[in-house]
Amino acid sequence: MKRVSISPPVAALLLAVVLFALSGLLPNGFGSDMDVARAQATNIVRLAVFLGVIAAGQTLVIISGGEGIDLSAGAVVTLTAILTYIIVNGADVRVLPALLVALAVGGLVGLINGIGITFLRVSPFVMTLGMAGVVTGAIIVITHGSVTGKVAPIMTRLIARPLSPSLQIPNAILIWILFGILMWLLLERTTFGRNLFAIGVNRVTAKLSGVNVTGMNLLTYSLAGALAGFGGFLLVGNTGVVHLQLGQPFLFPSIAAVAVGGTLLSGGKGSYWGTMAGAITLTLITSLLTTMQMPESVRQMVLGGTLLILISIYGRQRALRQ
Amino acid sequence: MRSSGWESLTGRQPALFALILLVLSVAINLIVQPNMFARETLNSNMRVFLPIILMAVGQAIVILGGGIDISVGGIASIVNAVLATRVGLDGSPGDMWTYVLVSLLIGLLAGGINGFFISYLRLQPIITTYATSFLYGGFALYVLPNPGGGIPGDIAGLYRSSTPFGLPLAFYVIAIVLLLWWYLRSTRYGNFLYAVGGRAQAAYETAVPVNWVQFSTYVVSGLMAALSGVAITMLSGSGNADIGSPMTLNSITAVVIGGNALSGGMGGVAGPVMGAITLGIIQNIISFADINTWWETFVRATIIVVALAAPGLVNLFRRRLL
Amino acid sequence: MAESLSARNIVKRYGGVVALSDGNLDVHAREVVALIGANGSGKSTMSKVINGVVVLDGGQLLLDGKPVHFPSPQAAKNAGISTVFQELSLIPQMTVAENIWLTREPLNGFGVVDRKAVKTRTEELLALFEGTYKTTLHPDSPIVSLPPDERQIIEILKAISFDPWLIILDEATASLDNRQVQRLFDLVAKWKEQGKAIVFVSHRMEEIFRIADTYTVLRNGRTVGAGSIKDINEQQLIKLMIEKESVLGFLRGEAKSGEKIEKEVSLEVQNLTSSALRDVSFRVHKGELLGIGGLQGQGQYHLLHSLFGDIPYVGTVKLFHKEVRFKHPREAMRGGFALVPGDRAREGLLYIRSILDNMLLPSWRRYGMPLKVSTARKDAAQTGLSLNLKMAGLDAPVSSLSGGNAQKVVIGKWLMRNPQVLLLDDPTKGVDVGSKAEFYSLLTGLSEQGKTILFYSSDDEELIGLCDRVLVMYDGMIRTELSGTTLTKTNLIAASLGATQPHGEVA
Repeated sequence: MKRVSISPPVAALLLAVVLFALSGLLPNGFGSDMDVARAQATNIVRLAVFLGVIAAGQTLVIISGGEGIDLSAGAVVTLTAILTYIIVNGADVRVLPALLVALAVGGLVGLINGIGITFLRVSPFVMTLGMAGVVTGAIIVITHGSVTGKVAPIMTRLIARPLSPSLQIPNAILIWILFGILMWLLLERTTFGRNLFAIGVNRVTAKLSGVNVTGMNLLTYSLAGALAGFGGFLLVGNTGVVHLQLGQPFLFPSIAAVAVGGTLLSGGKGSYWGTMAGAITLTLITSLLTTMQMPESVRQMVLGGTLLILISIYGRQRALRQ
Repeated sequence: MRSSGWESLTGRQPALFALILLVLSVAINLIVQPNMFARETLNSNMRVFLPIILMAVGQAIVILGGGIDISVGGIASIVNAVLATRVGLDGSPGDMWTYVLVSLLIGLLAGGINGFFISYLRLQPIITTYATSFLYGGFALYVLPNPGGGIPGDIAGLYRSSTPFGLPLAFYVIAIVLLLWWYLRSTRYGNFLYAVGGRAQAAYETAVPVNWVQFSTYVVSGLMAALSGVAITMLSGSGNADIGSPMTLNSITAVVIGGNALSGGMGGVAGPVMGAITLGIIQNIISFADINTWWETFVRATIIVVALAAPGLVNLFRRRLL
Repeated sequence: MAESLSARNIVKRYGGVVALSDGNLDVHAREVVALIGANGSGKSTMSKVINGVVVLDGGQLLLDGKPVHFPSPQAAKNAGISTVFQELSLIPQMTVAENIWLTREPLNGFGVVDRKAVKTRTEELLALFEGTYKTTLHPDSPIVSLPPDERQIIEILKAISFDPWLIILDEATASLDNRQVQRLFDLVAKWKEQGKAIVFVSHRMEEIFRIADTYTVLRNGRTVGAGSIKDINEQQLIKLMIEKESVLGFLRGEAKSGEKIEKEVSLEVQNLTSSALRDVSFRVHKGELLGIGGLQGQGQYHLLHSLFGDIPYVGTVKLFHKEVRFKHPREAMRGGFALVPGDRAREGLLYIRSILDNMLLPSWRRYGMPLKVSTARKDAAQTGLSLNLKMAGLDAPVSSLSGGNAQKVVIGKWLMRNPQVLLLDDPTKGVDVGSKAEFYSLLTGLSEQGKTILFYSSDDEELIGLCDRVLVMYDGMIRTELSGTTLTKTNLIAASLGATQPHGEVA
């Protein structure tokens, strides 16, 4: 009874390729010239890096199940981007401390999320949405509405530029590939990863098989926060400027990217490769909409509609009548 | 298993917790705002609270039925955008009432879409309404891309300053809503709602029309969100497509501090109404408490998170005591 | 009122699991038909077919000889069919009266529920069981506040509240006491006179012979026998329920290896008390296969889960004379304990994950960092082989396995850790007969290797056949210890029902 089926990450990538090819037909699409097309493709992947890294934490919490989700990711990205910007303030030597602060602050926010979710039994959606507000409040407290700072030259060199002029791939993409390998190792080749899938499927079974479900939950949300912090660090390294709404536009796409990549929103099944493919697909869709001069409103509706279609395909619950 | 006194008390009187909180917050508010029961002050407070009260009532009904509605803010935004653009600052009262009617239809339709996906396609409520919140929010932005427009000042004034028989208009609205709820609660539908939220499978086996009941809760919630949108438009008099988005979390918070279980089947509507008022009063206290402006968002958001975590804290505390 | 209902060649699958492959049942008015079968034979599925809760995969229902189709529970209800569910269909947060009249509330004008009428009618119904429940039970009591027997009574009252012609009692007596059972049987007699039909699903032989007129036996989803209860005796019924006599034969052959038990005490439990356990004390010897019996829900779950660190308790547990106090299953696991839980789907398996993931879940930590997956795979394959696990491959999801093979995965994941103490919660429930035989030899093999095994089973035959000593639990206590000549089926059943003195000679 074997059915021919395409795995969701592959399907997402295929969709991206088809969309990209079709976009050549648009009047002001990505053009039919091969060089232009390659440059465009590279650019889209480069833009997808930031969504992809921010969606990494989202992938972890969604796999962990229990309606896991992190709605504070957008605010954390903004906060850590601003912190990086302020701390670095143009000096190469302060880049590493800034990175550590970004990871620690993100991790702390994640830990608070985890505590609320595991010990106080607040639903992840509500808890992280509430924390998004708190983090936004913290941003206002820290910045008083205006930010002074600067990114360091080394960040731009490491993130935004290619390794060497002959290699026309920006470093961000190389960082992302390395990051993807690390994420794969984390999910597939560590006890943490195996236990993460286990608690995502069935927490009772996991506990009765010796998995520390509480600890796993705390760790997962902390890690997700730290990864959002890393995303903020990378993002500011690329853009070179910050503003108070920097991270917010990444939040919804980060969830959609996980869904596009075939990770079950109910938890227990998924991959980071899928999320990477999803990030590329979503970035492409967004870029296309921008190229077609569609307003922000249409972009939002398309994203909302995409997620709705995806969960209609993947996210059915058990029927009452079997 | 023995049930403690507190448990049976809150089980039978879930609104009691909300009442205690309400009395407490009113007492504190009286200290910072001694004239709060003066007719003018009372009216100006209640008209600010009313939109969130209406939204919380709809949210409470969805949550009682075992779901949740993240799209309520988006629906309120659509209504605001439609009223602000179609009626306009110099529109006639006739236009206004026509478009209020249109708004309510929009609420029913948007709720119906949520209900269709959740009860008939059996998708997860949280993620589905999160997706539609982007659809609805995007649509509001499409109707009104930039803040502006509004409704005629005299119609807004009608909402702001009507105090029939010396009581704020909001009191009458709340009274009507509560009367309607008590009627609904005493019909068969009321029992169905609690049954579906309590244990949907058991309700199904008892031949309760589970899908239909779930569907109806989203329609009710859509309608209440639209009413809330009308109220907030009359309060502000102007249009802004983002006006609804912060209201979603507030409506959920109001339900939680109103003593209803987020898991469904427990509580009522009077509690959430009190919860919404409490939330409003807390915001009031913050703005009177002479807190540094930069800290205000942070303090508000923190209070919301603490309020959301309160039932969990109470439980944790009780478990430690026993 | 209808005269008869027949189910013909019913097929019902849940995912890949076949619950009914050829179910047949005939019910007539003024008759009690006993639906009998071992655990997992499809009894409950059969009742869900009749009352429209599940969608049929094949076969048909005939009402008075004419084909009917119940697209929903409501449709079956309209045809006068009512069910007392084994897993109660009550809403815990709602009151007794609200639950009984749900969907059929009497209404005033304007669609308002007539609370007074609801209350009076509920009181009338409660009167049917008057004197058998605590006086605090009244129409406004919330279900959560009731003990299991009273919940069961409410479930029964709910089922009869709309005057159905066919009543399905699915294990309705399991949590009732003798007085309550007697009252129910008096009611059943009355319903028969009124022209109603009753389907009595039960595994208590004594009750079946007390009230049934006819019987239908299910075995592995198939109706294997039906007829008048007068023409059959208990032995013959049991024979019908059990697939091959060879299993029983096997049991008899392997059992009573008393001499082989080493005398060293391995596990000692003293005064174990928790929310569902009262002062439980016993000792198990190294290499002993100690049985735990009793009706379901008498504290067996709590005992095994407490020992495994899953449920907090007071009291002392000693392993080889050293006190252990596990606060989490992880600690118990590291202390050499293993638990095979009673509900495979909910507690034992990760359904959508692969066999490999399931088998290695407790053991991943041993394979280093990064995990040496190929070594782990080899070990899992070896364990699978030793258990004769039939699978498409280690990467196949557990959901693709049959009940017996799925249970082998649960046991396999613990055998990979070579535990000292095995706690088994009804491990052969819903397992096919072939796998059962394999389990029996596996268990005796393990005990010969010197493992300490605590074995709860809802199947008395298994306990008698496999164990030398059986502790019978009743109401959270160890009521009786049976061994040697006192370990007989009669004594086991008597002790399960709460009798204190075992019959037979005392050693």
